[in-house]
Amino acid sequence: MKRRAVRTRLRTTTIFVTMVVAVVVVILCCCIFFFLDRYRTAMVQSARTSSAQAVSQVSNTVENYLSDMEQSMRLVEQSMTESADSRNKLLSAFLRFRPDVVAVTSYSSEGELLDCWSIGHEPKDSILENLSFDYERAAETNAPYLTAPHVESIFEGYYPWVVTMTAPLPSGTEAAWVSLDLSFSSISSYISNVGIGQRGYCFLMDSDGNIVYHPQQQLLYAGLKSEDTVRLASLRDGTYADDTVIYCVASVGDSGWRVVGVSYVDELVNRNVAEMIRLSAVLTVVVLAAALLTSWILSRLLGRPLRGLADAMESFESDADHFTYRPVGGTREVQELSGSFEHMVVRIQQLMSTVREEEVNLRKTELKALQAQINPHFLYNTLDSIAWMCEQGRNADAVNMVHALARLFRISISKGHELIPVAKEIEHAESYLQIQKYRYKNQFTYAFDVDPECLEYLCNKITLQPIIENAINHGLDLMVEEGHIDVQVKQDGGDIVFCVIDNGVGMSGEQIEAVLQRGPSDRTGIGIKNVNDRLKIYFGRQYGLHITSELDEGTCVEIRMPKVREGEYETK
Amino acid sequence: MKRSKCALICAAAALAMLCSCASAAPVAEQHTVALIAKSTETEFWLSVFAGAEAAAAEYNAKLTVVGPETEEDYETQNAMVEQAVEKGAQAIVFSAIDYENNATAIDAAAAAGVKIVAIDSSVDSSAVSTYIGTDNYAAGRMAALAALERVEGDLKVGIVNYDVSSANGQEREEGAVDEFKESGRAEIVSVINTLAEAVHAQADTAALLMDHPEINVLLAFNEPTSVGAANAVRELGLSDDVFLVGFDSNVATVDGLQEGSVDALVVQNSYAMGYLGVEAACKMLSGQGGSLETTVDTATRVVDRENLFTMDSQKALFAFE
Repeated sequence: MKRRAVRTRLRTTTIFVTMVVAVVVVILCCCIFFFLDRYRTAMVQSARTSSAQAVSQVSNTVENYLSDMEQSMRLVEQSMTESADSRNKLLSAFLRFRPDVVAVTSYSSEGELLDCWSIGHEPKDSILENLSFDYERAAETNAPYLTAPHVESIFEGYYPWVVTMTAPLPSGTEAAWVSLDLSFSSISSYISNVGIGQRGYCFLMDSDGNIVYHPQQQLLYAGLKSEDTVRLASLRDGTYADDTVIYCVASVGDSGWRVVGVSYVDELVNRNVAEMIRLSAVLTVVVLAAALLTSWILSRLLGRPLRGLADAMESFESDADHFTYRPVGGTREVQELSGSFEHMVVRIQQLMSTVREEEVNLRKTELKALQAQINPHFLYNTLDSIAWMCEQGRNADAVNMVHALARLFRISISKGHELIPVAKEIEHAESYLQIQKYRYKNQFTYAFDVDPECLEYLCNKITLQPIIENAINHGLDLMVEEGHIDVQVKQDGGDIVFCVIDNGVGMSGEQIEAVLQRGPSDRTGIGIKNVNDRLKIYFGRQYGLHITSELDEGTCVEIRMPKVREGEYETK
Repeated sequence: MKRSKCALICAAAALAMLCSCASAAPVAEQHTVALIAKSTETEFWLSVFAGAEAAAAEYNAKLTVVGPETEEDYETQNAMVEQAVEKGAQAIVFSAIDYENNATAIDAAAAAGVKIVAIDSSVDSSAVSTYIGTDNYAAGRMAALAALERVEGDLKVGIVNYDVSSANGQEREEGAVDEFKESGRAEIVSVINTLAEAVHAQADTAALLMDHPEINVLLAFNEPTSVGAANAVRELGLSDDVFLVGFDSNVATVDGLQEGSVDALVVQNSYAMGYLGVEAACKMLSGQGGSLETTVDTATRVVDRENLFTMDSQKALFAFE
């Protein structure tokens, strides 16, 4: 019973906790999933935006640089129309002013190098190949153009990487084309310093996908790194993101150059997202722990007092009489429940004691009514005996009989008291035995052995008489030889024990059972069962009759009751 | 009640664990790498250093670069190895002057827990985790082949090599000699071992050419000897008569290639050696050394007058600064 109750409680708690946690987990998971999804999208968007911003900035700077160079080119073009002397002055001043211009070269209409201006370097006498000037390309276009990067190959012992800007000159001048060889010092400072995230970078390529400038150009040249410029060259301006890299392409004015920004999803997005996932996980655990704790506290708050209440009910069920209720604490609902239960306990206990009192009173009333009855046969027979004595002139015997009969009735009534002194009860028994002895013509003898200290205590009236009656009727009546009845009264600790011992035919076990169960017989007013019942009602279950008997040997009926003095019964 | 308590403790433990997890953000530690070269002067080594610095920047390593004044001074190199270990270098990227005499110092450094990466020229030590550089034997064959392909008739070959104890020079020589022998029309007239320094090499080469005027093919196996040999050939006016195959890129040899004193150059990828050497060191230090190969062959290319200004040759010859 108890085990089952505990298991049920645990199951309820577990279900409660599990449900709360499950709901929290589901809600959290949904929230985190949506949040992370949104967050990642936003991060990708922001990465694209910052990439695009960086690239457009670089694009603007490079465009400015190029327009600057175009202006310089116009200056150089103009210088070509002037006299050789002022041209030399102008160009050497220009070269000093623009250190990123490696050389200015002019070419004849046949594509031959006419003149070269450079600070600290002179062109070789025999140039194997001049990478700065491509006659075919120059002849094809009428507008200024930019070459792909190449090594300056006209000097001895000086091979810097340059791009060349070539412009045709108006006819009428000596030279047909002029070229500016531009080193990367300016462009590199524009581009190398632009970072997108930690590892992202920008590079410059031309419309064919040749890399013009890359922050890690030497890595590319050494074959340690490559850029998929063919694919990038085919893309329009814009931002392209795949799983790992975000490319951002922007044209530089109408120069044909394009800036490509390369940034890594991994560091711009994934790292942030991973950080967010970690945070979310921590949050989840915290919330879960909080939910677990809350539900645990809640279930304890409800479950523990309820369990206390259940325990109280259980112990009330097993022993309602001696149950004292201690209220259980807890929430208001539980307290109300506890209060109601306390009310109920008090009420039930009151009802129970009322019922018991009423029961006892009813039985007492019944018994009193029975005691009041006088067996009419006994009275007729006794009166017959007295009449017969008178006829025979045995006046003294008749007087004794009448006295005995009178005592018997007086004590039987005892002013309606149930408890009478032991002495009176002995007197009653003696009167009865006297009468019976006359009636049975001295077929038996009797003797009293009474502890004088017992006389002052109280006992139920008409306790001995039914026992003696039974001894005479069932024990001695059938005997041939003379019977004997011993009545003893003695103390046994806090009890008084009456013993009625006869030497009659004795009783079998069934007979003893029958005597103790049977109601009053038609012959006597009060049966042995009645005596036993009265003793138990008055003094409790441990008191009453105890019959031991042996066939053809005799019977001993032991009556046990507590020592009760005048006025003491009510307190007991 | 006992179960609830247990669950509570579990939850708390999980929480603590996660918190510690979250706070333990991975912080990459900066490794210290020492690059000990054969020299700090030549363009070859400057290019190696540029590559090494690029890798150090990319892998967030602290890089120190040292090298002796001459390419024969293995004792100074040994001292530099010791010094690097003392200064707390976690990895040494090393190019050995002397295959045998540098071994002890490298073994000692390795015993102190330093990772060893060999570049350009290896060392006789089992502590070397990986060798990154030219396949020198193949490069030697390549040099010989460049001469064989471009010179007709019988070849009288003179070889200008540097220090005899240097592993890579010997391997190149061996490759070249093998290639010449296999051709059947080449004869090795003389092999000289000079100092890896242009002036000395020029004098020794001039002497060689004077002693053996029949020489029509000359091989020089590194940058300073190539420069010296080119100068000697030019000074002696033998540009048309002697076919010179040099090694590596130097403005002098590139000039020589254009004017005729040099006829072919075997160009090594020095930038890649520096870059990959430091990269390998960083990877080993960060625990990713498992994927390293024992030998990494950096590309080598032959440049002659015809392909001198192709884009690929430009990229190989001229450093982008």
